[in-house]
Amino acid sequence: MAEIRMDTQPRTEFGKGAARRVRRSGWVPAVVYGHGTEPTHVSLPEHDLMLALKAANVLLELQIEGQPTLVLPKSVQRDPVRSTLEHVDLVIVKRGEKVVVDVPVTITGKVAADGLVELVSAALSVETEATHIPTEILVSVDDVPVGSSVRAGEVALPAGTTLAADPDSVVVMVTAPQAAEEAAEAVEGAAEGAAEGAEGAVPAEPAEA
Amino acid sequence: MLIPRRVKHRKQHRPDRHGTASGGTRVAFGEFGLQALEPAYVTNRQIEAARIAITRHIRRGGKVWITVYPDRPLTKKPAETRMGSGKGSPEWWVANVKPGRVMFELSYPNEKVAREALRRAAHKLPMKCRIVRREAGEI
Repeated sequence: MAEIRMDTQPRTEFGKGAARRVRRSGWVPAVVYGHGTEPTHVSLPEHDLMLALKAANVLLELQIEGQPTLVLPKSVQRDPVRSTLEHVDLVIVKRGEKVVVDVPVTITGKVAADGLVELVSAALSVETEATHIPTEILVSVDDVPVGSSVRAGEVALPAGTTLAADPDSVVVMVTAPQAAEEAAEAVEGAAEGAAEGAEGAVPAEPAEA
Repeated sequence: MLIPRRVKHRKQHRPDRHGTASGGTRVAFGEFGLQALEPAYVTNRQIEAARIAITRHIRRGGKVWITVYPDRPLTKKPAETRMGSGKGSPEWWVANVKPGRVMFELSYPNEKVAREALRRAAHKLPMKCRIVRREAGEI
């Protein structure tokens, strides 16, 4: 993936008041660190950053004090309701350097009839070159029988990528559908009715430790 | 219905209703989620009603996760009682849900059915909700 160039503004005042002023003016507070350098506090244009961060592990080329700096997003804080960007941590990387990143998993293929695909790990931790991070890892469920799973060690990785996660960790499970809910709920309903009758006006109370 | 098995104290102060959710704001397990947009106390009965609404609509072939737990007791004094004489008796078990919190998650192959199931569940809950989807590549 090609790097995305982005302007930066240095930040000299800190705290929530200053951060809110930065956000109101259409910029996002960010911090850049890594490779033993002192952390640098900058602001990034909100709209460009929002578009860039739609892809996982996007490589950004920032102009910090006139120097081009390659960075990867390490942590992104968003507003939980509006999903707007609040703050970004960026880690400095060098060309040709190997980095460990979480690459999103995409399921391909058709699962066997009556099987339900469950994505246990939405992303797989891999070691790869910073300038050649794969955008996704494809996991096929074509030949996976119901009741079995695909482990990290069995996933075909793109060239130049090695697995950093535990090879025994489960990535995708193909399970049988849950048993007919109606029968289970009928039993539950009968049990609840009996319990409510027994409770009367007093709610069920747990034991106090 | 969800209820704590053992508690340290039977009666607690009312939970804080300010602010937004600090965790559990993204779909983590399933494909779709039901996200709160307002703060509310969600009782164990409401959680159960929403769960039943989802499971009855999807019938079979899906999986439901409940990502809130009603671990806070609310008390109530009896009607027409004078003030004083101590705190009322525990009446409800609630989850203190804040805006942004994903309360239910669902994995189901058909998006239309999944969204309808979550829409039905939202009608059982005491706040405005929206249906969110897990986004690939999101950090």
